[in-house]
Amino acid sequence: METVGFLLDGIFTSLQWFNLALLIFGCLIGLFVGAMPGLGSVNGVAILIPITFIIPPTAAIIFLAAVYYGAMYGGAISSVMLGIPGASTAVATVFDGRPLAVKGEAMTALTAAAVGSFVGGTVSVILFTLFAPPLAEVALRFNAPETFALMVMAFATFVGLGGDDVPKTIFSILIGLALSTIGLDLITGKPRLIFFNIPGFLHGINFLVLAIGIYGIGEMLWTLEETKGKVQMSKLSVNMKEVGRAFGALKKTIMAMNIGSFLGFFVGILPAAGATPASLMSYGITKQLSKNSKEFGDGVPAGVVAPECANNSASTGSMLPMLTLGIPGSPTTAILLGGMILWGLTPGPLLFTQEPEFVWGLIGSLYIANFFTLVLNIALIPAFLMVLRIPFAILAPVIFVLCVTGGYAPTQSLHDVWLMLLFGFAGYILRKLDYPVAPAVLSIVLGPLAEKALRQSLILSDGSMGIFFDVSEKPIAAVIMYIAIVLLIMPAFGPLYRRLLKKKQTA
Amino acid sequence: MSITNKITVKRAEIVVAVILALCSIALMIKSAENRITWNAEENMGAGFLPFYLSLGMLICTVLTIIKFVLKRSPQSKDDTPFIDAVAFKFIAVTIISLVVLVLAIGYLGIYFSLIFFLAFYLRYFSEKSIAFITIFAITTPILTFLFFEWMLKIPLPQGISEPLFYPVYDFMYGGFSFAVKMIFIILTIFLPTALVLLISKFIK
Repeated sequence: METVGFLLDGIFTSLQWFNLALLIFGCLIGLFVGAMPGLGSVNGVAILIPITFIIPPTAAIIFLAAVYYGAMYGGAISSVMLGIPGASTAVATVFDGRPLAVKGEAMTALTAAAVGSFVGGTVSVILFTLFAPPLAEVALRFNAPETFALMVMAFATFVGLGGDDVPKTIFSILIGLALSTIGLDLITGKPRLIFFNIPGFLHGINFLVLAIGIYGIGEMLWTLEETKGKVQMSKLSVNMKEVGRAFGALKKTIMAMNIGSFLGFFVGILPAAGATPASLMSYGITKQLSKNSKEFGDGVPAGVVAPECANNSASTGSMLPMLTLGIPGSPTTAILLGGMILWGLTPGPLLFTQEPEFVWGLIGSLYIANFFTLVLNIALIPAFLMVLRIPFAILAPVIFVLCVTGGYAPTQSLHDVWLMLLFGFAGYILRKLDYPVAPAVLSIVLGPLAEKALRQSLILSDGSMGIFFDVSEKPIAAVIMYIAIVLLIMPAFGPLYRRLLKKKQTA
Repeated sequence: MSITNKITVKRAEIVVAVILALCSIALMIKSAENRITWNAEENMGAGFLPFYLSLGMLICTVLTIIKFVLKRSPQSKDDTPFIDAVAFKFIAVTIISLVVLVLAIGYLGIYFSLIFFLAFYLRYFSEKSIAFITIFAITTPILTFLFFEWMLKIPLPQGISEPLFYPVYDFMYGGFSFAVKMIFIILTIFLPTALVLLISKFIK
């Protein structure tokens, strides 16, 4: 019952005129960012975070969460109309969305995507409201050892479940952590890794510099290479009859909605996963379980609903560990978490007791944002189609301007802008060679928190690492640590298992 | 054979892995400037974490190199060009113009540098008319100024162009009424556009 009261407070908070205006503005930007090929929620949030410094944290998180949400809706627009995913989270939407558009049923695909997103978003935010307070209560009992163990598990999920090359994934995690150690040491106060004695390194490397570099500059370079500045768009006729027919077609997609919403939420909670794998898994499972699975890929609404439902649901799911444990569930939430630190908040379960307006304002805003994004999305489809006609050669320099100003604004030093360019270029090259970049962003955000937790734990244990593995002393930390170890060594057994399977088959 | 064909994915993979290995070693050496030991009495040295993190990085890159030599990674068997010639032009010009932009920001200040950057970039990559490009290149820095300096009160670097902005600041923080300021904002946004359109018509 208490939760309902908090939730109502949260909804009222997000309905205050200033917050509501930012929410609607955020939804619009999110839709736009999502719809542009090459830009997704993570790019939008990374580029926009520097401008949230002057507004209160609650308004800032409502704005950025709306951008996150809007981008999940918007991604479908270019997947359907251009055949290029507007964001990686909308890759699976292309599979059936594009064929529908080619058949001349683009409106059906867009409506299915919007309604799917709405259902996924709503179901997940209800799950969120139910799960978050009890989880936060459990997490309140966590001390430094448990926190450190959780962070190790977050890194381990990238190795165990990320699906990328293992040495490259671990490299990405380690380089993020190493970058986070640059600057003054928290405990001894000694300067660390001050390259060439450049004073700019003394204040450390702000996670935003890496995030904007990789997700702003790097992503633009990537998209410039992919599109070479040009894209082709499908024709679309918009009339109410089509929208009506599209709603009719949605009756057959209830199974896809269920799978997408629930699967998406739980996949979203995992640190390594996020919305992209959630939508791909949801598409795959819906296709397998469907009676007419052969029609998938030729353009069925269920094939659009499943991934769209899942990516919205996952984006809400990924906020659950961010708020309750202080561990982000996706690259976008990693940046949001970094933002919270910049706004002067301490991420983690204490937020629920110390900053209830912030937490519940965010949760309440998700309900409201869902509704507004659905309406704005369908109403503004013609406007977004005009936006999609903007040549990339014009959009790219605008994004570069935002990156340069955004990289400069937080610390007001050109040193950071240079670093951002360097990270952007390096991130682009590394990504081309299949080095995952998301773990680096996650670990530069978590790095300082992890180091603090580690060193506090070691002070508690008089320098013994045993504190993390002692089941009788610290059962929660130990269990989490053992799960992390299993995740870390899991990829090693993959090839072994496959070889055994092959032997069995040949025998 | 053009240069972009010579740089295959295979070559890029090994070159990048070796560079990363060298960077990891450099990082280890740099970390060792601080104490890298750790025991119960002295607590953890400031260099401990960076040292072992970079050691881990080195091990990962060595593993990547071993996988390459044993031909276990997809990149080690990939003879396709790392980047095709058309895309290379896009990327190279973009990176060079960004570097020049940041260099120019330090000297000329951000607003004038942006005008040149945008004008060059659009002229080079888009097929838009000169009038459009001029309007775009002038309006974007004006909007950037209004947004950062006026709304957010965050000063952006102005380099040698700083004195030019003194009258604007005097106006911004002077005792003018809201309406006057609004008219000023609208004029600064639309006046350049109108002027450029007028001139372009005149030239035609």
